[in-house]
Amino acid sequence: MLPKLKVSNLSCIRADNQLFNNLNFEVHAGKNIEIIGSNGSGKTTLLRILLGLIDIGEGEVKWLDKKGDYNNFRSIECFYQGHSLGIKNLLSAQENLRLSSYSFGVSQEKIFSSLNRVGIKNHASFASELSVGQKKRISIARWLLKDFGIYFIDEPFSALDDQASSLIVEIIEELNDHGASFVITGHRPSRVTSNQISLDHEV
Amino acid sequence: MKSNIYNWFFLILRRDLLMASRRSSTYITPLIFFLIVISFFPIALSPDQDFLRSLAPGVIWIAALLSSLLAIETIFSEDFRDGTLDEFFISNDPSFVLVFAKVLCHWLVTGFPILLASIISSLILYLPLSSLLPMICSLILGTFFMSLLGAIGAALSLGKSAILSAIIVLPFSIPTLLMGTAAVSSAIDYQDYSGFLLIMGAMLAIGIPGLCLLTVEAILINYE
Repeated sequence: MLPKLKVSNLSCIRADNQLFNNLNFEVHAGKNIEIIGSNGSGKTTLLRILLGLIDIGEGEVKWLDKKGDYNNFRSIECFYQGHSLGIKNLLSAQENLRLSSYSFGVSQEKIFSSLNRVGIKNHASFASELSVGQKKRISIARWLLKDFGIYFIDEPFSALDDQASSLIVEIIEELNDHGASFVITGHRPSRVTSNQISLDHEV
Repeated sequence: MKSNIYNWFFLILRRDLLMASRRSSTYITPLIFFLIVISFFPIALSPDQDFLRSLAPGVIWIAALLSSLLAIETIFSEDFRDGTLDEFFISNDPSFVLVFAKVLCHWLVTGFPILLASIISSLILYLPLSSLLPMICSLILGTFFMSLLGAIGAALSLGKSAILSAIIVLPFSIPTLLMGTAAVSSAIDYQDYSGFLLIMGAMLAIGIPGLCLLTVEAILINYE
């Protein structure tokens, strides 16, 4: 099967700093990639370049379209979760899901079942009353709203207890079975995949 | 289900209005600020009826411009900080709609209360009843245009000082100020004011597509 995303010879220089050089990898359906690096090694920048939030410096990012061709335009529906989770304190847990830009055409039942799946029992509680870990759980509930093609998740395992980390691994494996791929970042290798790219050696 | 522009527009509008309704300071602050500024004039200058009436158009308009810009920097800053703006840009929906929905929400939350307060202020400043209609019409057109202008200022000053957006925007508000005050003054003198309102309407008609697209570009500068 053709890879959904092909990255070739990607390099990035920010503020006179070579963050990474000549990165090559492919994202296949149902497979994950983990980008490992220390603080400031360019993990977040790489994710944002892939999604087109930052201009590509050098190299190519090619997306598979429905006809089986590759082009620069992203036609695969993607999910991005940065360090800031996009959770609004003034909205309740279920409102955060219902009014997010990922929730078009998603039924109320799906929203409830997604929240239950990540262990948020009180759907009406405001995000301001929840802990950082619980907000992260709401954010994970959004993964389940739709079948996204590729998930780009920045440090999914930070600020989480063991139970929540296992839940993430479980959910990632479940979504993998449906053909979704994950591109995640982290400081050290996780259990999610053996396909790792280290940015530290590149510096 | 394929998302369409209307769903997308109403989703943003609903979300922002819901949040604004839960944070009462967003709509109460401009309202109170407007009324306080207006009520200072009779105290500071003179309570003389004719004198206040001649000042009224300018006073109401300056107060309206300043209060509509009070919270303008918050229009994008929160979404920028908490990552919601990233989500919007990643979904392949038009960013133009996002900007327009946010501007409309800002106007409903700040401009609309100012309209109501302007009716009270017309009593304080002895405005004749005949000038009430042109004042309200010009304020509807003018404050909406100010929200559009303010959105560019807010987009350019994302992550920077809050007052910067108002400083960027205020010089560009002069045409609105001129037309708005001229419309109300003409009405006080029983002259035809429709020309001024038509020009303001034309400014708004060009401003909605033009300024929204410029705002999208201004937001994108922060992503480079």
